[in-house]
Amino acid sequence: MTAKTSRSKSIITEGLWYNNPVFKQVLGICSTLAVTNLVLNTLVMCVALIFTLSLSSFTVSVLREFTPRNIRMMIETLIIAFYVIIVDVLLKAFWPEMSGNLGPYVGLIITNCIVMGRCEAYGNSNPPAKAFIDGFFNALGYTFILLIIATFREILGMGTFLGFAVPYFSGPNWDKWIIMVMPPGAFFMLAIVTWIFRSIQAVKEDKAK
Amino acid sequence: MIRKKAWFPVVYMFCLTAFFSTIVIGFTQVTGERVEANEKLSFEKAVLAALPGLYEKNLSRLELHKRFTESVSPPDNFSAAAYTLRQNGQIIAYALPVSGRGFWAPIKGVIGIKADKKTITGIAFYQQNETPGLGAEIAKAAFTEQFRGKTISTDGPPLNIKRPGAVLGDSDVHAVTGATQTSTRLEKIINDGLEEWLSRTTTQGNAK
Repeated sequence: MTAKTSRSKSIITEGLWYNNPVFKQVLGICSTLAVTNLVLNTLVMCVALIFTLSLSSFTVSVLREFTPRNIRMMIETLIIAFYVIIVDVLLKAFWPEMSGNLGPYVGLIITNCIVMGRCEAYGNSNPPAKAFIDGFFNALGYTFILLIIATFREILGMGTFLGFAVPYFSGPNWDKWIIMVMPPGAFFMLAIVTWIFRSIQAVKEDKAK
Repeated sequence: MIRKKAWFPVVYMFCLTAFFSTIVIGFTQVTGERVEANEKLSFEKAVLAALPGLYEKNLSRLELHKRFTESVSPPDNFSAAAYTLRQNGQIIAYALPVSGRGFWAPIKGVIGIKADKKTITGIAFYQQNETPGLGAEIAKAAFTEQFRGKTISTDGPPLNIKRPGAVLGDSDVHAVTGATQTSTRLEKIINDGLEEWLSRTTTQGNAK
């Protein structure tokens, strides 16, 4: 993996680029496919993930000295669930429309592989501050890929961006690609994005050698 | 050392769970009232939107609630399950809550019907989880506005949701493009609700 070739790189570039959770580690794909048909929904989902991932990783790291090895997965799940429920309740109380839009997906952050993956791979063996930064930038790496996918899906499929009509794409000359807002559209977009970003990465690495 | 004891993981897990659960429970208690109020409010908003001349876009939460309690009466024996809008004791319109299975999750909405029990004054949905951009469009004005002024058909199903582009009669509306499943289910929800309510109110009327 690229993690070895870029060991000297900071945690930030690891999470955002070299070890990006979506196109490199291919984690958290379920939510990538599910919530990316509207940019606003994606944005809220990503903020929820940034919150959950950085704080879970932090908390796991704080408790790492005390947690017995054999039950660490249970503890991690408990901590993740704790933060996710907080987000879910906050949305329900203060932004009910968005809570309705996202439906079960906020709750499903608990099973988002990125969160468990980072807690297990990083939070469990690093000091709290570093774990927090690692979680934050991994979630940010997830966020920017999702936003790219969502932007294309919303514009091509609905002719809008963040709910506002986009010139040309919302006009009569553009036949809306309905398939882009349906589940198959997510697969196409994810594949294309992964392809492009991995190619860019490969080219850069060749040059570095 | 205490961490080497066989019972340590059990106690540790127990304490940690108790700790986090306590916070979550406390948190839910604090926000619970607000969550409940939100749910109630979204229903009240739908009722106002379905009835004629009550809903305005920029009403605050408090104004919405005030308007609902002031002008809408809860269901009674006469109106069956429907909420009523009255003026000087005379019923002007009914707001009938309907619900049923959508494509992904239950759809709940309110249909507004004039006192003649024939004309639709509006429709609004306060709970749905259809595909964003497709089925979810049923909650938007472009779709719901179509219902305003439509007539409940006496022969055949009360209302029809026809495929986009079809010629429309007095009791037909256009479906959302690409949302066939949602539209068929929605048609059933609306018609089942209307038929049941109409049969209940008319039999009561005859008995009187």
